[in-house]
Amino acid sequence: MKRNGFKIGITLALLLLCGYYLYPTVRYALLQRKINQMPPEERARFVEANYGTIQNLREKSLKLGLDLQGGMHVALEVRVDALLRALATDVDETFEEVLAAAREQARRGDVSIIDAFVAEFERRDPNARLSRYFRNPDAGITRRSSNEEVAAYLRKQADEAVNRAISIVRDRVDRYGVTEPSIQKQGTRRIVVELPGVDDPERVRRLLRGTARLEFRLMAEPQLLAASLQEIIAFYEPDTTAQPATATADTARTADTSLASLLGEQTQATRPQNPLLAVLQPVGQGVVFGVVAGPDTAQVNRLLGRPEVRALLPPGITLLYTANPVGTDAQGRPVYYLLGVRQEVELTGEAITDARVDFDELNRPQVSMTMNSEGARIWARLTGANVGKHIAIVLDNVVYSYPVVNERIPSGRSSITGLASQKEAQDIVTVLKSGALPAPVDIVEERTVGPSLGEASIRAGLRSTLIGLLLVALFMIFYYRTAGMIADLALVLNLIFILGILAAFKATLTLPGIAGIVLTIGMAIDANVLIFERMREELATGKTFRAALDLGYSKALSAIFDGNITTFFTGVILYSFGIGPIQGFAVTLMAGIAASLFSALVITRIVFDYLVLERKLMVSVG
Amino acid sequence: MRIFENINFPFVKYRKTAYLFSGTLILLSIVSLMTRGLELGIDFTGGMEFVVSGASAPGATAVREALTPVLGSEPEVKTFGEGDLLIRVAAEGEIAEVQQRIVETIRQRFPGTQPEILQTDVVGPRFAEDLKQAALYSVLGAILVIFVYILIRFEWRFGLGAVVALFHDILITLGLFSFLHGWLPFSLAIDQTIIAAFLTIAGYSVNDTVIVFDRIREYTTIFKTTPFEEVVNRSINATLSRTIITSGSTLLVVLVLFIFGGEVLRGFTFALLVGIGIGTYSSIFVASPVVIELKRARQQRLAVAR
Repeated sequence: MKRNGFKIGITLALLLLCGYYLYPTVRYALLQRKINQMPPEERARFVEANYGTIQNLREKSLKLGLDLQGGMHVALEVRVDALLRALATDVDETFEEVLAAAREQARRGDVSIIDAFVAEFERRDPNARLSRYFRNPDAGITRRSSNEEVAAYLRKQADEAVNRAISIVRDRVDRYGVTEPSIQKQGTRRIVVELPGVDDPERVRRLLRGTARLEFRLMAEPQLLAASLQEIIAFYEPDTTAQPATATADTARTADTSLASLLGEQTQATRPQNPLLAVLQPVGQGVVFGVVAGPDTAQVNRLLGRPEVRALLPPGITLLYTANPVGTDAQGRPVYYLLGVRQEVELTGEAITDARVDFDELNRPQVSMTMNSEGARIWARLTGANVGKHIAIVLDNVVYSYPVVNERIPSGRSSITGLASQKEAQDIVTVLKSGALPAPVDIVEERTVGPSLGEASIRAGLRSTLIGLLLVALFMIFYYRTAGMIADLALVLNLIFILGILAAFKATLTLPGIAGIVLTIGMAIDANVLIFERMREELATGKTFRAALDLGYSKALSAIFDGNITTFFTGVILYSFGIGPIQGFAVTLMAGIAASLFSALVITRIVFDYLVLERKLMVSVG
Repeated sequence: MRIFENINFPFVKYRKTAYLFSGTLILLSIVSLMTRGLELGIDFTGGMEFVVSGASAPGATAVREALTPVLGSEPEVKTFGEGDLLIRVAAEGEIAEVQQRIVETIRQRFPGTQPEILQTDVVGPRFAEDLKQAALYSVLGAILVIFVYILIRFEWRFGLGAVVALFHDILITLGLFSFLHGWLPFSLAIDQTIIAAFLTIAGYSVNDTVIVFDRIREYTTIFKTTPFEEVVNRSINATLSRTIITSGSTLLVVLVLFIFGGEVLRGFTFALLVGIGIGTYSSIFVASPVVIELKRARQQRLAVAR
């Protein structure tokens, strides 16, 4: 035993270390099991009483990937094109054209949108100066700044925007309340958010994506809006002289909608041949331009977005939808108002110092906001000058409410009403408190796994691991007899080492990761097979068992080493280029190779030495 | 128990037959890759993919036909595991809206179904482009690293032999993926997991090959007078037992995973099953013979020079 003292010491130390790292995982699993067996009331009480312990164990135990525990993985990308427009102090047509071209180039190729923007701008006019768009004396960008200086300034702004977006997203996620969320920067422009156990993905999407740009704006003059509505309908009116009048036959049909009372006489005359009227119910009363069903919004946007149509709107007016449906149409589809809102922003969310969920006298949820003194002053002036008129409260380009001002409000208080639920109110408070994103973000990747699917995957993974282990272990005993048993011991320890390494490095176990472990079980015996085969060969040449043992280990070493190192390299490469689950696979593959080399070369040797040298036994290699 | 003990099969003699066999397989693979192509998963094409439960009763074809007008483009609908549907949509748009349209349409068109979205995967076009690039880099990187490592440990002919065997294995596995997609009851779409499987196959193939090479390296120093072909043949035979047992046990666990590992891993384990099978064959019949041919070419060149 003495000659192997060092090896035994190392093995025991490693096993202890693995035990230390795996202990919380085992305890957590047992606790979970116990909790699941309890009746519901007792469970709630137990969880309440032991909240700290459970939380502590969960944090220390082996992490499961989102594919195993269910949850949401979202990659966000900051819209640099929108940031450029926001940074520009002076926007003209050339700017828009160059930006559109840059956006297109960035979408197709592997160039950053800023580089594409600068290149495109210089291509159009080599002597023009970018500084004319981005003049900002505070940042040192004056009219004389060179294009390189401006480009550097833009890049810096973009980097800062991403970092700011990360901290805002983190704040929002924290307020949303998810256990163990992870928010990381990926590359230069992306933010990866991992949210285990989320049950309402759409709510999360809205929460993450909303820029939280709150604006108070005045609305359109009713007469002007109604007039331009008629002009726009006329614009899309086909050559009516060729059409027979079928309007009267249709009048009765639309009467059953809940909105029928709101619709003016002319709207009843549905003319299917007018492309706009096919998707938009015109209203033209007050600040309401029309009514649009949810699925039709894209078509309406296309029709109303044409420059010659936009020109027909009253000057300085833009059309925005309501945030929540105002009813349903005959087919049960949710419908929204299209409202005429002034483009000019009177007051922004920056003036808001506090926001909270509140209920009005009818117990409907609303968000009450308090403004700073500067905001309160502007608010007082704005409300004072517009008594009897509507003011639109716009959040991320949709109108939440557009109350009529009854009197001047001097206190700096305002509220957002017209909310669908208390959850929505809560989410608005969250985004308002976290602050506005510097630029909108897009979801470029999303992977959501339901908890039931995750559970099924865990069960499938565990079952495969056990069956695989059992089959290989039985085969080894069958083929190599006693030596096979020794190899099996190594195999089991190997499994403990792999899990220990994963827990120690705080790696995440994913489904491909479990596949990696199962695969390692198959490959882990390779080293022992090589050694045993070599021993058999040496024994066949008439050597003593001891000599065969020594030769078996020493001669198989180079083959084992060369063979495994290439697979290990493959794991390293997979880890560096892969994402999420694939990295999990790569980690288990690498951990598996390290563990199997150790258990095959060191542990089995200890057992062999003990049996052969100490106990003077003949060990069967089959 | 022993199998393949003291066996002396003339592998090297039959290498011409193996060339013919491998050549045919590679040719078929290339033809299939060029005509049928590969089915790319949304990781590399971009798009949306949903696993929907409680909606398989009407059948995939009926669901596809019902969804086509609603989604504006023809979705791909397949059965997924037991009783689930995999719906792949090419269009971009609001995720929640597409989900809702799918669920509503199925519920209304097929009374009695209770569609529920179990899993959602959405990959933007630009992101898919990045994933494609990462996959390409990782495959090229792995091949380069393997080649360089073998170059350091063995002479260049061995390095080339190993890389030829590796290309052989991956090409034939890819060929099979291309040939079989659409015919098997599970998805053979190339996604990130399949790329991981291919890299694992590469690692395994080289591992298998290196064990034989290691023996050749050892035997060339022992049997200096024996012709190289004979040394190679002896090395292959000496390691045959190990080759078969290790592949056997690995194939066994992969088969277990294939059967019990669930629908998500099916394509991945299928790639491993095929790849490890081919890799075992190639480490015997392709890698070492290539080294022999390279050595022969050199001898012939020397003879001509003389």
